[in-house]
Amino acid sequence: MSRLSPAVTRTIIIVCVLIVCEIVTDYSSASRIIVAPPSEIFWQVLKIVTATSNVPHFYPNAWITIQEVLGAFAVTAIVGIGLGFAFASSKLIGDAFEPILLVLYAIPMVILFPLFVLILGIGMAPKIVFGITVGIFVVVFNTSAAVRQIDPNFTRLARSLGYGRVMTFFKVILPATAPTILAGLRLGFGYTVIGVMAAELLVVTKGLGSLIDWASFNYFTPQLYALIIITLMIGVTGNSFFSVLERRWVK
Amino acid sequence: MNAVILAPHVHLRLTRVIQIGFVAAVLLIWHLAATLGWVDNLFLATPLATARVFISTAILSEPHLAATLSSFIVALFMGVLAAMVVGFLVNLSRYSYFVFMPILVLGVAIPKVTLLPLFVLWFGIEKTTIIIFGALSAFFPMIVNVSAASQEVKPAQITLARAMGYSRIQTYRKVIFPAMLPVLTSGLFYACNAALVGVFLVELFLARSGMGAFIRDLATTFRTPELYAAIILVSLVSVVINMSLWFLARHFSSWRT
Repeated sequence: MSRLSPAVTRTIIIVCVLIVCEIVTDYSSASRIIVAPPSEIFWQVLKIVTATSNVPHFYPNAWITIQEVLGAFAVTAIVGIGLGFAFASSKLIGDAFEPILLVLYAIPMVILFPLFVLILGIGMAPKIVFGITVGIFVVVFNTSAAVRQIDPNFTRLARSLGYGRVMTFFKVILPATAPTILAGLRLGFGYTVIGVMAAELLVVTKGLGSLIDWASFNYFTPQLYALIIITLMIGVTGNSFFSVLERRWVK
Repeated sequence: MNAVILAPHVHLRLTRVIQIGFVAAVLLIWHLAATLGWVDNLFLATPLATARVFISTAILSEPHLAATLSSFIVALFMGVLAAMVVGFLVNLSRYSYFVFMPILVLGVAIPKVTLLPLFVLWFGIEKTTIIIFGALSAFFPMIVNVSAASQEVKPAQITLARAMGYSRIQTYRKVIFPAMLPVLTSGLFYACNAALVGVFLVELFLARSGMGAFIRDLATTFRTPELYAAIILVSLVSVVINMSLWFLARHFSSWRT
């Protein structure tokens, strides 16, 4: 087989695109305010990470964003899984709340953000709460779907083997639901990051969103690209963390 | 697990009671929070005050709603069309699927909100930015579903169609397209949701017209009852759009189970 492996082809394509970008930005009349050559963006990323660029207070701001994301995700995970189990445990409650959840999910939450700011102020609170409202639905849906698709024979078998409620939960229900719940958590993390970043860009106070706003306001274009790449890394890192966890669990 | 089995009509009635009770409780808490001063009245209007200004706000927001809906429809159409074309090309061979799919998956995973300042830099604060960002938001959920849909088509089905003397076009019309349709319509539901979010986000962020801009102006000028009324109006419109697509998706996948 003389064909290149897909990964090699992919890398070649990406490198070619980067080289074309580099040449176009260097030798065309495109304004340096709008585009920046990839090599310069790469150096900016390094400079920002080593705190030698002109971006002010990178690490304190990044830490604020990470705190917001982790705080929002912790609540999303705990409350979302709890609600998912609650909705799945009783058919009555599940049937009653399914349409309500579906309607709430159909509302684009971003339009509610001005309300959150009015009621909660412009600190970290509205961003965290907004991250939760964006992220929690998929966790609830996946958890209750996971619990519902457990084969009832499993729990019946556990009963007849003399397992108590707690034992049944940890030995039967949890392993059976884990893969679907994990998939929900991965998606939920992505949505939480989207929520927090949207909130940071809409109300600029602190965090990576404020740095991105600073760079675009002052037309520090390479810094802007670099900061955006760094921010995207947070989402990608979380996503790949859950992918690894999922793969291990499914095995 | 120790479920009490209820008669179906009792079950249905209890479900309705719980739903009405939930909505009533939300309204009551909202009312109490506004009247007992848990939240300042400058920031929270009572449900009654909101209801009173609802009609007048709806009339006032009509041009904004029209602007939002027109951007949304163009954005959704562009995003879905682009996803169909790219999805079709990527899925032409297994090799191109393995080459490009990780890039597209990465595109799904990254929080695209962060790219918004770049779009403003490239396209200005015009309607173009709203439409392109909305289209991008719709593109990624759709392309995942286009790929999933093309995995739905089993090679054996195509072989069978060939064996029965179907032409290429007939195979597409009678075998491939019907097999893809359920997944495609559910992709359309997610794309529609994402496009709405994208359009509203850009409008809140920078636009001068559209519902997002209208709501932002109401919030910054503390016209609180009108703000709540406008948000409820937008939510109603979005729910109608999204739910009709949800029922469409369910309609097209009903024959499968």
